[in-house]
Amino acid sequence: MNPGVQGEFKIVFTGPMGAGKTTAIAALSEVEPVRTEVENTDRMSHDKEFTTVGLDMGRITLPGGQVVRLYGTPGQARFRFMWDILGRGAAGAIILLDATQAGVLVQLDLFVDAFAAHVPRGAIVIGLGRTHQPGALASDAFAERLEARGFTLPVLSVDVRKRRDVMLLVETLACILEAQTTEGLPS
Amino acid sequence: MTPASRNIGRLSREFARRELATLVGTTGVRSAVLFSADGFEIASQATDSAAAARLAAIGSSLSALGSAIAAEAGLRDFERTMIESSDGTVLIMRVHGTRAMSLAAVADHGAVLGTLLWATQRCCEALGRIAGE
Repeated sequence: MNPGVQGEFKIVFTGPMGAGKTTAIAALSEVEPVRTEVENTDRMSHDKEFTTVGLDMGRITLPGGQVVRLYGTPGQARFRFMWDILGRGAAGAIILLDATQAGVLVQLDLFVDAFAAHVPRGAIVIGLGRTHQPGALASDAFAERLEARGFTLPVLSVDVRKRRDVMLLVETLACILEAQTTEGLPS
Repeated sequence: MTPASRNIGRLSREFARRELATLVGTTGVRSAVLFSADGFEIASQATDSAAAARLAAIGSSLSALGSAIAAEAGLRDFERTMIESSDGTVLIMRVHGTRAMSLAAVADHGAVLGTLLWATQRCCEALGRIAGE
């Protein structure tokens, strides 16, 4: 299915700036993740101190013994070249979105299109953050948007700071991959 | 105003362009871009402005990866990295100043490596001085 070490595969965490990609990988990884955060000078786009400009990289061993390499992308469109570098050879993608961010459905389209080109059909899971905050778009809106464009993908509400929530995203993706291959997880 | 323009003032941006022009005057050097650590172009000497913006973004990723691999190897601060291709060189060098910035110089096969390194180093030092003011 995908080239790589037996029983080891790669998934990509992506989504716009400030969605929590670096936080999610840090919450889940069993090793200290590689980070490439630098000072954020674009406070108009997102008011946070640091931003990822290269990649995040962590690792998790699933209960079945499969090793999953976790890669995080930068969120800004000017780093599109990194999306393609990291998306290449990925078994699946997890798209993190902030449900309170303006234009979040456009962001959904952008990232689904960018990663659908790299991963096997349907191997994408959507993680929605800040769904309980005022102004958050209901998760139905995301599912409807996807359906209207011919995608049927799981949409889960998550707090990326919580390891359990991030693990649920990875396990959901692993289930999809397992269902897609007769021999279980991609090897 | 682009976000990165906050990095250095208007007058010093003019100065930065002049310093970059001097660098581009070096034999074989085709273009030069000064950019923020998060990938915004601050000043450039390049014929294609869209290419300069892309070079800024890719350059910031390489700088960050350089820092990451240095840290992984137990080494201190990233200083420079060089991409050598069959027909040219891209040199990315850190500018020491109050804000994190780097410079990318693109050179063709006509450039002498030592001269390219020296000229880029000299340019970074001059830029570091104005950025520090």
